[in-house]
Amino acid sequence: MSKCVIDGREVEFAPGENMIEVARKVGIEIPYFCYHPGMSVVAQCRMCAVEVEKMGKLQTACSTPVADGMVIKTKSERVIKNQKSVMEFLLINHPLDCPICDKSGECDLQDFSFKYGDAYSRYTEERRTYMDLNMGPVIKKNMNRCIHCTRCIRFGDEIAGIHEMVAVQRGNNTEITTIDGRPLETDYAGNYADVCPTGSLTLKDFRFRKRAWYLKKTATVCEGCSKGCNMELHQDGNVIYRSLPRTNMEINKYWLCDEGRFNFRYVHDKNRVADPLKGAAKTDWSSGIDAAKAALGGKKTTILVGSDLTQEEAKSIQDFFAKALPGSLLFHFGTPGIGSVAADAPLDKILKRKSKTSNLNGLEQLGFKGHDGSVSEAVLVIRGGRAVLPDLKGAATVVGIGVFTQAQAAKFAVTLPGAAFAEKDGTILNYENRAQKLKKAVNPLGQSKQLAEIFSIWARPAHAGAGHSMSAGANQ
Amino acid sequence: MASETLYIQHFNEEARPLAYYLAKMNGYTAVKKALAMQPDDITNEVKKSNLRGRGGAGFPTGMKWGFIPKQSAKPKYVVCNADESEPGTFKDRDIMRYTPHLLLEGMVIAGYAIGSNIGYIYIRGEYTREAKILDAAIEEAYAKGYLGKNILGTGFNFDITVHRGAGAYICGEETGLLNSLEGKRGEPRVKPPFPAIAGAFGGPTVVNNVETLTNVPFIINRGGEWFAKLGKLEKSGGTRLISLSGHVKKPGVYEVDAGSITIRQLIYDYGGGILGDKKLKAVIPGGSSAPVLTADEIDAVYDIEPLMKIGTMMGSAAVMVVSEDYCVVKLLQRITKFYAHESCGQCTPCREGCKWMEDVIERIEHGHGREQDLPLLLEIADNINGKTLCALGDAAAGPVISFVKKFRADFEAHIRGGKCPNA
Amino acid sequence: MSKLLSQKYYDGLKKLEPRYPTKVALLLPALHLAQEETYWLPPEILEEIGASLGIHPAQVREVASFYTMYNLKPVGKYHLKICTNVACCLRGADELVEHCEKKWDIKCGETTKDKKFTLSEEECLGACGTAPAMMLNDGYCENLDIKKLDQLLDTLK
Repeated sequence: MSKCVIDGREVEFAPGENMIEVARKVGIEIPYFCYHPGMSVVAQCRMCAVEVEKMGKLQTACSTPVADGMVIKTKSERVIKNQKSVMEFLLINHPLDCPICDKSGECDLQDFSFKYGDAYSRYTEERRTYMDLNMGPVIKKNMNRCIHCTRCIRFGDEIAGIHEMVAVQRGNNTEITTIDGRPLETDYAGNYADVCPTGSLTLKDFRFRKRAWYLKKTATVCEGCSKGCNMELHQDGNVIYRSLPRTNMEINKYWLCDEGRFNFRYVHDKNRVADPLKGAAKTDWSSGIDAAKAALGGKKTTILVGSDLTQEEAKSIQDFFAKALPGSLLFHFGTPGIGSVAADAPLDKILKRKSKTSNLNGLEQLGFKGHDGSVSEAVLVIRGGRAVLPDLKGAATVVGIGVFTQAQAAKFAVTLPGAAFAEKDGTILNYENRAQKLKKAVNPLGQSKQLAEIFSIWARPAHAGAGHSMSAGANQ
Repeated sequence: MASETLYIQHFNEEARPLAYYLAKMNGYTAVKKALAMQPDDITNEVKKSNLRGRGGAGFPTGMKWGFIPKQSAKPKYVVCNADESEPGTFKDRDIMRYTPHLLLEGMVIAGYAIGSNIGYIYIRGEYTREAKILDAAIEEAYAKGYLGKNILGTGFNFDITVHRGAGAYICGEETGLLNSLEGKRGEPRVKPPFPAIAGAFGGPTVVNNVETLTNVPFIINRGGEWFAKLGKLEKSGGTRLISLSGHVKKPGVYEVDAGSITIRQLIYDYGGGILGDKKLKAVIPGGSSAPVLTADEIDAVYDIEPLMKIGTMMGSAAVMVVSEDYCVVKLLQRITKFYAHESCGQCTPCREGCKWMEDVIERIEHGHGREQDLPLLLEIADNINGKTLCALGDAAAGPVISFVKKFRADFEAHIRGGKCPNA
Repeated sequence: MSKLLSQKYYDGLKKLEPRYPTKVALLLPALHLAQEETYWLPPEILEEIGASLGIHPAQVREVASFYTMYNLKPVGKYHLKICTNVACCLRGADELVEHCEKKWDIKCGETTKDKKFTLSEEECLGACGTAPAMMLNDGYCENLDIKKLDQLLDTLK
C-alpha cells in the first residue's frame, strides 16, 4: 500500500484509486458534480479541484492519479475560492426552482451550494433559457436546470450502450437532448434521474408526488428477475413512492432496470385483491379459509408455487400441505418458457435475466420442479406479484393465495390475499446462489396477510356447527 | 532580414509542383538521408536543433518525440496540426499552398523517427483550396514513391491522409483535434493520459504544427547544430515565420532568425510602419490569446522567453497592430466574443465565465457599463485563469486582464461617459 | 428507406474507409461529402449518414451541431461568411457587414427572401494579411472593400 497526506492526515491507498475515494475513506469530503465512480472521468465541472504540493495549478481530484508521498490540501484558501467560483458560475443560469423541484432535499447542487458556495451572486445579465423537449414516458427533462455535468451522456453511452443522450451545439449554448423529442430507447432510463445531480432529469412517475425528506427508506432486493439487484423502497404513510438502486458492486453496481424500478407499482394497484373473496364476493378470513378447505378437500390437488415467493414461504408450503393436502403435486412456476434454472440466462448485456421472478434458484434448491403444464381437478395457486399464471382451464376448482387482480380472482373459487414482496421479510436466492433479504417496507394491503398467519388460521380445527356466523363473530 | 531564409523565397505559385521541390529545394533528399539513419539519431538531431513547436505552445519538438514509447500494442500516429485558427495567424496557409511537399517529407521523417506508418493532416475546414493542394501533392508523392509502401526502396511504409475540420478553433488544441479526427465533437480530453501514450485511436501519437514539421527536412539535411545557431537566443533554434497584420502598411508573412528582432523593428522596418502614419496604441503579439502590449513595450525582443518575461507570449507568432484609430474596448469585446463562441462548453468556468465576460464588456461598449464592472471582469477572468480543462480558458482570460489593466482609462471613459469617447 | 444521397457519396466513403481504423472516424468527411451535394443537412440526410456508418442518429447530430461549417439550416445560393475577427475588424470588416445588411435589408445570420444570399459573420479565416476577407461558399475573397465587394456581388447570378 502507498501513502499520501490529505489535510495533514496520512492515508493509505491502492494504486489506481481515485483521489476522491481516497479522501472519502478518512471522512474528507471533496465536492464534485461530473465525477461518478461507475463511469469515465471527465474532470469537467472543476468543483473537485484541490491543491497538490509541487504542482502550480489546482488539480482536479477526480482525474489526478494519487502518487506515493503526495501532499494534498482540500481546504486551502485557493481551493475554497475555486469552489465558490464554480458554484457562482453554475448558479448564474440555474433557475431558483427549489420550491417546485422534485430534487430538492437530495440535490447535489443545493447541498454543495450551501456548503461551498457564496450566499450571493454578482450576475446581472440575461439568463440563458432553453425549450424543453420530450424524452418519453420515463424521464422529464428540464434543460434550464442542467449544469452540463454530462453524467447522463456518459451513462447512455457507457452503461446503457445506446448513444442516444447527446450534447448539441457548443459553448454556452450546449443543450443536452435526445434530439427532436425522441423518447429514450433504453430499458434503463430511470437511472438518468439517479445520476443527474440536479433536477434537470427527473422521473415522471415520481413528479410532484412527495417531498424527498418525508420518505423513509427500506433496504431490500428487487424481485423483477433472478439477478437480485439491490434496491431501496421509499415510502411514507405506508405508500411506496419510488424505488432506487442500492450500490452493490458484485451484482448491479449502481443501476436498476426500468422493469425492476417500477415493479413496485402493482403493490398499490387499485385492482389488487385486498379482501378474502369467494368468487367475486368479499368475505372474512375464517369463512374464506373454510371455503378454501372445502373447495380443495378430498380432491386431487396441484399446488403451483410461485418462484416469486421467499425461501421461508416455500418451505412452509412444503411442510404445511404435506399434512393439510397429502398426495398433492407441487410445482414451481414463474416465467413462461423458463421452467428451470438451466433455462435461465442473461436477457441483455447489462442486468436483466430471462427468469422474471426473483427466487427460481431458491425453489429449485428446495426440491421444487418446474410446472409441466399438468393440472389436477383442483389447483391451489400460491404466488407473489410476478409469477405468471399458467393456463388453468383443465381444473374444476382453483383457489388462490397471494397477490391477484380482481379480474384474476373472479375466475377462482376462493382468493386469500397475501403479502407482496414489499410487504414481507424473507430470503431469496439469486441466480448465483446469493442469499439476500427482502425487507418489509409497508404493511400488507387491506386485509392481506402473511402466509404464516394464513397457515395458522388454516390449521385451526373448524368449530363443529359453528358455521359462518360464529366465525364472523370471532373475527369482530 | 534573416541571414538565410528557408521558406519565404519559395512562397509563390511556381513552387508548388513536385518538380520544383526536387529541383530547387533539395526535395526528398532529407528523407533519403533519414531513412538510412537510426530513428533515435533523428530524434536526437531534432533535440539538438532547439526546434520548438510553432503552433503556439513552443514545446521542444525533440523532447515531444522522445516521449513516444518504443513498443506499442496499438499503431502509432503522426498528426499534423494544420488547424491554424488562432486569430492573426496565417503562415501555415502559405506553407501548405506554396510548399506542400515540405510538410509531407517532414511527416515521413517524423514517422520513421517514432515508429509510425500512419500520418494525418488535420486541416481546418475553411482551407478548402489548401486541402485540395495537399491532396494533389500527396498524389504526386505516391506516384513517385515518396509515400506509400517501401519508400525509396527502404522497406519503410508511410501513408498520409488529409482530414478536414469543419469550423472549430478548439480543434487546434491537440486533444480536441484528436477527438475530431476520431469522428467526435472536438472537445479536449483530460490529461493524463497524454497523446504520446494514448492519442489518436488510443495509440501513441505525436501532434505537431505545420511549420514545426516542415523544419525537419532542413534539420536533417544540414544538421541540428546549424539550425540551433540560426536562432539568436539560447533555447530557440531556426527561423520563425511571423504573421503581421492590422494597422501596418505592409501586412504579410515575414521570416526572421528566431530572436533576432524587436517588436518595434517588426512593425516599422518589416511592416513599413503604422497605416496612415498614426500613433501606435496597442500590439497583440502572439495571436489574440496573448496579453496585449502597449506602445511602451515594443522594444522587447520578439521571441518566446523575452515575451514571457514581460508577461505575454509569442504563441503562434501572429502580431496584430492597433493604431489610435480603433477603440480598444470594442476590440476586447470582439476578442471575448470569439472565445465565448469557440468554447466547447465542457468545463464550468469557460462555458459560463466566457459568456459572462462577453456580456459585461458588450454592456460597457454600448454605454451601459457600471463602475463595479471592471473589478468584476478581473475577478471573473481570475476565476477562469488556470482553472479550466484546457488552455482556451486562459486564452480568454489573458486578454481581458491585460486590456482592462493596461487601458483602464479607456474603459473608465466608456463607463463614465456612457459611450466610446472616440465615437 | 430510400436513399437521398448519391452514389458519389457512398463511393467517396468507400474510398476513405481503409484510411481509418474505425468507421466513426469517417463522420466528419461524410458530413462534408453529403453537404457538397445537398448544401445543407436536414434531419433525413443526417439519418442516412448515420445509417451509412452504423451509428445512432443522435451521434450524427451531436457532431454536426458542434462545427460551424455544417449547415443545419438552409442557406442561400451564395453564402457570404465575412470575417469580423481582430485583424479584419481593424481593417473595416464591420462596415462590409453593415453594407450587406442595408443592401439586402436583412440582419447578419439571415437569408434574402429570394434565397440568393445568406450573410454570416465568421471567425478568423487565416487571411489576416489580406484583410478584410470573407468566404464565398467554398472560396476566399480577400483584400475587400465596399467597392470590390459590390463588384463581386454584381457578378453573382
